[in-house]
Amino acid sequence: MQLETALLIGVMFTVATYLVLQRSFVKILFGFLILTNAANFVVLAMSGRPDGKVAPVVLDPQSPMVDPLPQALILTAIVIGFGVAAYLVFLLYRLFLDQKTTNAAELYDEKESG
Amino acid sequence: MELHGINFLLVLGLPLIGSPLVALAGRRLGRRSGWLALAFPLISTAALLALAGGIGLPTRVVIEWPWVPSLGLGLSFLIDGLSIFFGLVVSVMGSLIVFYAIFYLDKDEEHQGRFYSYLVLFMGAMLGTVFSNHLVLIFIFWELTGIASFLLIGFWHGEADSRVGARQALLVTGSTGLAMFVGLVILHQIFGSASVSELLSGDLSSGKHSVLFTVAMLLVLVGAFGKSAQFPLHFWLPNAMAAPTPVSAYLHSATMVKLGVFLVARLYPVFVDHSWWAPLLGLIAFTTMALGAVLALLSHDLKAILAFSTVSQLGYLIGYYGLGPPDGVEHDYLHILNHVFYKGCLFMVVGIVAHAAGIRDIRQLGGLFPRLPLLGVTTLVAAATMAGIPGTTGFLSKEMMLKEIFEAMRARDELGLYATACVVLTSVVKVAFSVRLFANIFLGKKPEQVKQDFHAPSPWMQLPPVLLAACALLFGLFPGLLDAPFGALAVEGLNRPQHLALWHGFTKELLVSSLVLALGFGLYWLGEKTNWRWHHIPRWLRFDVAFEAGIEVFSKFTKVVTRVLRSDQPLDYLPIIVTFFVLLVGGRLLWQGSGLWGSLALDWGTVQPLRTLAAGLIALAVVGVLFLRRWTAQLISLSVAGFLTCFYFVLYRAPDLALTQILVETVTLIMVLLLLARFPRSAQVGEERRKPVRFRRVFHMLLALSVGGVATVLTLMVTANPHPSPIGRGFLEHTVELAKGSNAVNTILVDFRGFDTLGEITVLVIATLGCLGLLMRYKRTPEEYQQGPHGPPGSGAGEEVRE
Repeated sequence: MQLETALLIGVMFTVATYLVLQRSFVKILFGFLILTNAANFVVLAMSGRPDGKVAPVVLDPQSPMVDPLPQALILTAIVIGFGVAAYLVFLLYRLFLDQKTTNAAELYDEKESG
Repeated sequence: MELHGINFLLVLGLPLIGSPLVALAGRRLGRRSGWLALAFPLISTAALLALAGGIGLPTRVVIEWPWVPSLGLGLSFLIDGLSIFFGLVVSVMGSLIVFYAIFYLDKDEEHQGRFYSYLVLFMGAMLGTVFSNHLVLIFIFWELTGIASFLLIGFWHGEADSRVGARQALLVTGSTGLAMFVGLVILHQIFGSASVSELLSGDLSSGKHSVLFTVAMLLVLVGAFGKSAQFPLHFWLPNAMAAPTPVSAYLHSATMVKLGVFLVARLYPVFVDHSWWAPLLGLIAFTTMALGAVLALLSHDLKAILAFSTVSQLGYLIGYYGLGPPDGVEHDYLHILNHVFYKGCLFMVVGIVAHAAGIRDIRQLGGLFPRLPLLGVTTLVAAATMAGIPGTTGFLSKEMMLKEIFEAMRARDELGLYATACVVLTSVVKVAFSVRLFANIFLGKKPEQVKQDFHAPSPWMQLPPVLLAACALLFGLFPGLLDAPFGALAVEGLNRPQHLALWHGFTKELLVSSLVLALGFGLYWLGEKTNWRWHHIPRWLRFDVAFEAGIEVFSKFTKVVTRVLRSDQPLDYLPIIVTFFVLLVGGRLLWQGSGLWGSLALDWGTVQPLRTLAAGLIALAVVGVLFLRRWTAQLISLSVAGFLTCFYFVLYRAPDLALTQILVETVTLIMVLLLLARFPRSAQVGEERRKPVRFRRVFHMLLALSVGGVATVLTLMVTANPHPSPIGRGFLEHTVELAKGSNAVNTILVDFRGFDTLGEITVLVIATLGCLGLLMRYKRTPEEYQQGPHGPPGSGAGEEVRE
């Protein structure tokens, strides 16, 4: 059990959720970035308490090592998270070009009136 | 076996393949496509006869082709007396009906190819249902018949009646079919076999005492009752009469509605000793029988009279199996065949009359005998069969019915008494409307309107009903002819064929029979005397009206629900989703996580200071995003958190993660900075002015806090119970030996799980292409061009000017 990590995950999820629920595109983007990291931490916590273990590089088979699988999963997740974040950035840029607003609420208001 | 297989393919496969062909050819052939369609039932009949002769009845043969072997699902078909009997009824009636339809449909009727295609499809589906040896296969073909029926009832979809009738039929038979499917699946689960032949021959005593067996029986019976229009689901059948008459004669009297009867017969040996079987079938079926007959007497539309009398007869057929003794019933084939003869014949007659006179209301018809003498005689025979007058199969059927019902009355006390009362009442009423049907169409004075509109029907069109009536007469006079085929078609555990004879001597049955006839004529005389004034179906018996009202209410209800749950703002959906997450996952955690708090206290001692410091710093930076005002400041704070995350990865002994995180964090920082630089200052200022209302902010805060809480508890619970042997250990042990690399994380990514990494790269490529697409497809406005080549759109270059 890793209390500090769990609390950190809680804080990150709280902030991320609050930001994602906002109407500003930029805030939503920031919320998404935090959410990615928070999710990575959840997987990281599954590899167990690292105290007294070494990195999963087999140099001396006798010494206890941390579980490599969560790390491999996170590595993939970081990269994919980055890809999605990049897409989101460009999507927001394009939305701003087309709609001249950075606010989601405004976007739909305009649609309705027009 | 080989020869049987080919024969069987001709019986079943040809119609299924042929149906789309008829539709295609129909565009060319138009009216003549009926002759093409006629080939299929004729071939099926011939092949079926050859098959019946070939397998040497009464053996039971299973023909099987593999289909989805991994699911234990095979194209398995059971060929025995029962399936051949029903198969022959379907294919022979199919031939007659298609022949009849060729002359029935108007020359200028459109889409004739489609009509015959549906008919052939229906015939294939029917044959499939009766021959299926696999419970799932039964369901598939069963529903296919329902779909074909829907298409055929709605064939004249320009008329509202057809649409309503088609929808009712589909909803009732389709939904009850689903109930039946559940029942069949439960049967499969209980006995471990989905094969009908194994269910019939195997030893089932082990599973019969479970509650599930009762549930399965009830569900299967719901399916049978729906298809065979049993009370209180009988209402769809009269409304299905909006279909063209050949369809009514074929689907809704002779074949499809008998599927419920077939299913009851098929599973009779499985269910018969269940203590609910007799009371359930008896009560519902005999109620249906009496109600159907009374409703038939109260109707005026020719087809409605026949439809309700069909409902009544179906009730008797199902009730007959219900009261049957455990070792099998005696005369089920006779009753079914008798009904096919007279009801198919009468439907076709009614179609011809409606065709010739243009009227379907019995009150406005009369005196047609001089014009249609052949048809009049035919109708006389068929009506006599329906009424059960000696010399017809109807008489035999009624004698046997009375004999058996008297036996049942002795054996089953109250239920037998109830059944007897229903049977006698039905017989009387049936005589009355049989007489009415013949007398009021063919005898008496001819009304003016009939005189004007009458045009003679084609003699060929009268051939199929004449044939059926001739059969009813032939077998009625020489019932011994039926002994041999019925004996051959008998199925063990279901039938105990008995010798049939015309004359049984002066028995109790004959006495009752004569009394019934007299009473029936009396009832008819009473009706004529009062001019049928008391005739209309009371409102509380119009189940179809109630059903339609129910559908109306249902559609209104769904509209209300949609209006409540729907929002014009897509943003409103996210809080709903998050709320559900909190309620579901959080609720589950509260339910289960009570033991968590005890172990939590122990954990405080093992908190590691360095990690705690790093976690605190990350949390601080993340919370900073909320409180900093400017976008760039928020981004920097976010970035700080990102780089501290690298440090956290290091503390977790994950060097590869730290490296990757540094790279990704750097690129993300630059990318988002570039994005923010493109947004004008005014955009951010505008954001700050548009603060959401206080209520919404508080709600979002609460939501966010609960998500955070759920995430924390979830992490604690997950990490508190580590798996005893995580698969990661295997990778560690084999990384040097198998992948020739000491860094297990690297070897997992590029070696053990290389394909996953390929997928990951593909995701990146797709994201890149998406980004490119977003950038490339933008067309600048003339204003943006004027701002010069270096002022990309949205850069805020023109912003100062505008302000």
